[in-house]
Amino acid sequence: MQENNSITKLRKRLLIVFISITFLFCLLGVRLFYLQIIEYDFLSSKATNQWYRELPLTAPRGIIYDDKGEVLAGNQSVYTVYVRPNAVTEKTRVTELLSSVLGLKADTVSEKISQKRSEVTIARNISPETAKKIIHADEKGVYCSSGYKRFYPRGNMLSKVLGFTNVDNVGQNGLEGYYDKYLSGTDGYAYTETDIAGREVNDGSTKYVPAISGCDMSLTINANIQSFAESAIVEASLEWGAKSCSAIVMDMTGGIKAMASYPSYDLNDIPRDDIDLLNMLSKNQLITDVYEPGSTFKIFTTSAGLTHGVCSDSSRYYCSGKHVVDGQRIKCWRTIGHGSQSLAEGVKNSCNVVFMNLALSMGKKKFYDTLSAFGFGAKTGVDFFGESAGIMMKEENIKNVDLARIGFGQAVAVTPLQLINGVCSAVNGGKLYEPYFLSAVKSPEGNVIYNHEPKIKSNPITEDVSAKLRELLVGVVEEGGGSKAKVEGIKVGGKTGTAQKYENGSIASGKYVSSFVGFAPADNPKYAVLFIVDEPSGYTYYGSLTAAPYAGKIISRIADYEKWERRIEQAEYVDMPDVTGLDMTEAVALLEKLGLKVETVGWGEVQSTTPPYGERIRIGEVILVRGKEDDNS
Amino acid sequence: MLLSVKSKNFSARIDRYGRVDFPLFAVTSGLLLFGILMVYSASSYNAEINYGNEFFFVYKQVFGVIAGIAVMLVMTFFDYRKLIKARYIALGVSILLLVLVLIPGIGVENYGARRWLNLGFITLQASEVAKLGYVIFASAYTSKNYKKMTTIRGILPLIAVGGIICILTLLEPSMSVTMCIAFVIIAMLVIGGMRFRHLICMILPLALAVILLIIIEPYRMNRLMAFLDPWASPLEEGYQLLQSFYAIGSGGFFGVGLFNSRQKFLFLPFAESDFIFSVIGEELGLLGCLCVILAFCFMIYRLVTIARQASDRFGCYLASGMAVLVGVQVLINIAVVTGSIPPTGIPLPFVSSGSSAIIVFCAGIGISESVRLRSHASVRALL
Repeated sequence: MQENNSITKLRKRLLIVFISITFLFCLLGVRLFYLQIIEYDFLSSKATNQWYRELPLTAPRGIIYDDKGEVLAGNQSVYTVYVRPNAVTEKTRVTELLSSVLGLKADTVSEKISQKRSEVTIARNISPETAKKIIHADEKGVYCSSGYKRFYPRGNMLSKVLGFTNVDNVGQNGLEGYYDKYLSGTDGYAYTETDIAGREVNDGSTKYVPAISGCDMSLTINANIQSFAESAIVEASLEWGAKSCSAIVMDMTGGIKAMASYPSYDLNDIPRDDIDLLNMLSKNQLITDVYEPGSTFKIFTTSAGLTHGVCSDSSRYYCSGKHVVDGQRIKCWRTIGHGSQSLAEGVKNSCNVVFMNLALSMGKKKFYDTLSAFGFGAKTGVDFFGESAGIMMKEENIKNVDLARIGFGQAVAVTPLQLINGVCSAVNGGKLYEPYFLSAVKSPEGNVIYNHEPKIKSNPITEDVSAKLRELLVGVVEEGGGSKAKVEGIKVGGKTGTAQKYENGSIASGKYVSSFVGFAPADNPKYAVLFIVDEPSGYTYYGSLTAAPYAGKIISRIADYEKWERRIEQAEYVDMPDVTGLDMTEAVALLEKLGLKVETVGWGEVQSTTPPYGERIRIGEVILVRGKEDDNS
Repeated sequence: MLLSVKSKNFSARIDRYGRVDFPLFAVTSGLLLFGILMVYSASSYNAEINYGNEFFFVYKQVFGVIAGIAVMLVMTFFDYRKLIKARYIALGVSILLLVLVLIPGIGVENYGARRWLNLGFITLQASEVAKLGYVIFASAYTSKNYKKMTTIRGILPLIAVGGIICILTLLEPSMSVTMCIAFVIIAMLVIGGMRFRHLICMILPLALAVILLIIIEPYRMNRLMAFLDPWASPLEEGYQLLQSFYAIGSGGFFGVGLFNSRQKFLFLPFAESDFIFSVIGEELGLLGCLCVILAFCFMIYRLVTIARQASDRFGCYLASGMAVLVGVQVLINIAVVTGSIPPTGIPLPFVSSGSSAIIVFCAGIGISESVRLRSHASVRALL
C-alpha cells in the first residue's frame, strides 16, 4: 500500500511540475503578445530608425520676388560630398579622387576617411560639375547629396532688407529671417538600409521621402526703384564723403518700394568670419535706429497746427532770429532772422520761430495727440525684426522749452521709416498705413496663401489739411529750401532737414544728419522718398544741398521708368513788334493776334511798350501798352 | 512491485514491452532542423562579414545536429538501467569538466567567462554536460533512496552535490547555468518526494544567496537595472535587451518573413545563439513564437508521459529530469529575450547554435526514448 501511495504521490508531483512549466509558458506567451501586438507600433518604429541611414534631400527655399516678379533671392544647386568610412573599399583611390577633384590635401582626405565615424562630410557647396566628376568615379563609400545654396542675383542690392541664411539654409536676419517659416521648406530623406556599422545591405535599397520646397514671396520692393535708390546713395556718399547714405521709397498705402543704405555688403559673399563687421553691415538702421529728424519734422508741426486751428493762411509770424521761451533763448537757423512771414513763407524758409510758435500755441496735449496719431513713439508694425519705436519725451515731463524744440524737430528721435510713413499719411489725405514688405505668399503648388491688404492704423489729419500741406510743401520745392529736388515737369513737394548729431548726450560739432523727404506727383502723390545723408564731410551739410538733389534724381528716374507725364510748358517765343505810332486799337489787335495779353494805359497813338520793341518774349506774356493821350484828358 | 521488474530476454520481447516514442523523435528532429534554418537566417550576414563564409555557423550546427542525432540513437538503444551503476561516473565526469574549465590554459575564455573546453573537433561547454550528469545522478540516487526523500538526511546528498555544481558554474562565472541547475535540483527534489516545508527552508537561503551575488558583482546590478529600465542606457547595459525588443516587436503577428530579419545585421548580439528566439520573433511573428513554444510544450508533455509510464523509478526520474531540463532552459531563454527576467546568456535547446548543448540535449532525449522503449505495456496500463 505504501508503494502505491508513493506512486500516486509521484504522479501528482509530476503533474505539478508539468503544470507549473506549462503555466510559465503561458505567461511568456502573454509577454510575447504584449511585445509583438500591443507594443508593435512603438518597437517597430524604434527599430526602423536604426535600420536606415538617412540622407537628407534638401528642400529648396522659397524664392523672393519683387513686385514685378523679378528674382531677388533664388537658389543655386550645390552638392555635399561625404564619405562613410566603413563602406570605403579602395582607400587610396578614394583619397586620390577626392583630393584631386576637390583640391584638398591628400593627408587631410585620408585622415577624414579613416575616422571611426559612420559619416564624414568632406566638402560642402560643390558645383554640379565638380560633383558629377565624383559621381562618375562611382567609388564605394563616397556619396554626393544634392542641395541648394541661397543665391542673390543682385548681390549688393537690398542686402540689409533681404538678410541672409546660415550655411544650413536657415534664415538668419532680414526678411530671410523674419519670414523663415514661409521660405524654409521641409527636407526630404533618402533612406538606405544599412547594418549597424553603416554598410549597405539588401543591395542598398533606398526609400525616398521627397522634399517640399518653401513658399515663394512677392515683396512690395520694386527692383528698378530699388536700384535707382541704390545708385543715388552710392553717388551721394561719394560726393559728400558721408559716413553713410540711405533712402526709402514708399507708396501711399504703406508698401515699401525701395530701402537702401550704403555702405552695404554682397549677399553672395557674406563676411561671416568677421562677426562685428557683419553685424554692423547687416543692421537695417532705417528700421532699427533712431535719429533726430530736424526740419523734416516741421511737416507734422504744421499738420498739427492746421488740424487744431492755431494757424491759417492769414497767420503772420515775426522772426528776429531767436525766440525766448520761459527765459531761454532759442535761435532760428538764420541768425539775422526772417522778419515778418506768412505760414507758407515760414514753411518755405523753414523758420524755427514759426514752428516754435505753432507748438507753443497748440500746447503739448494737442501736439502730442497729433504726433501719436502720426505713429511717433510707437512701432510702425513693419514686418521686420528689431524695429525701434523712436524716442518721445514723456508728455508729463515736457516743459515749454522742449515743446518749442519738438516743434522744429529737436528733442525727438524717430526712425527713418516712421518719418516717411508719417509723411505719406500727411500727404495722402490723412491715412496712416502700416508699412510692409511682403505683399503675397504663394505655396509650392502655386496657391496664394497670403495676400497683404493695406492696413490703416489711424487718421491723423483730414483730407483738407492734407491738401493744404501738399500745397505748402510744393512751395518748399518750387520756391524754398527744397528747390534742388525739383524735377522737370513733375510737381514735387517736400521738406529738407538738417539736424546736429548727438554723441554721448551732447551735440557733436560738425556732425550732421541731412535729409530730404519729398513726394510726387504732388497733386496726387504716388510715392514718398526719404533721402538721408549721414555725416556729410565739409561745410556743405544742409539737407537742401546734399539730400534734396538726390531725392529729386530718384523721383526723376521713377518718373521715367513709370512713364509719368511731364508737363513741360512748350514755351513759344515771338519778337516784340514795333507798335509805336500805331493807333491804340490797332496795336492791341495786332498784339493779341500774336497771342500776347495786353494791358493798356491811356489811348490814341501808342507811345511806348513794356517790354520794348525787339525783345524776345514768351507767348502769353502780359504787355503793357501806353497811349499818347492821358486817360483823364 | 512491478516497477522493479527486470527482464532477461528483453530484446526478444521488445514489441510487448514498448516502442520508441515517435512523436518525441518527430518534435526533436523538427526543432533541430528548424534550428539549422534559423541559425542560417540569423547568422549568415554576421558569418559573411566576420568569417567570409555565410555558412560558417550553419556548418557547425549541421555537425552538431548530426552528432546529436547519432548520440540520441545510441542512447535510445543503450539500456538506461546501466546508467544507474554509472551514476558516480556521470557525476565525477561532470565535476571534473567543471573544474577543468576553471584552470587557465585548459578552459577557453570567451566574453569574460571560462565555460568551454576545446577538444579540437568540438568546443565543449562543461556546464551542459554537468546538467545531464546531475539529472542521471539524482535519478539514480532518488530511485535508490526514495523512501528517505521525506527526510532532510535523505535529500541532503542531492542538495550537497547540486550545491557543488552550482558553485563551480558560478565560478566560471555563469549565472544563467547556475540558475538553470538550481531549478533542476529543486524540480528533481520535488519529483523525488521532498516535503514542501523542506523546500521552503531551502529556497529562502537560496533567494538570499541570489541577492548577495547580485550585490557583490556590480555588473549584475547594472544588468538588473538595465532589465528594469533598458531605455535608461540604450547604448550600454540596456543595449542587448532593447535590440531584442526591437527584433521581437518588429515581428508583429505574422513576422517579417523568413530570412527577412533586419536586426540580424549585427544590431542584435548573439543572434544565432542566445538570442535566436528574438530572430524567430522578428521573422515569424507571434504565430511562429507560439508554434515554437507549443513544440517545446509538446516535447515536455511527451517526456512527462514517458516518465509516468516508465517501468522503474530510475526511468521515471530520468525522463522527468529531462522534461524539467528542457522546460527550465526554454523558459529562462525566452524570459531573457522578452525582458521578463534579467538578461543572462543561455541557449535555446535544440535551436540555438552550439554543438555541445545540442549533443547533450539529444543524449537526454535518447535516454528518455530508452526509458520508453523499455517500459512494460502492463506497467503503462497500471500507471
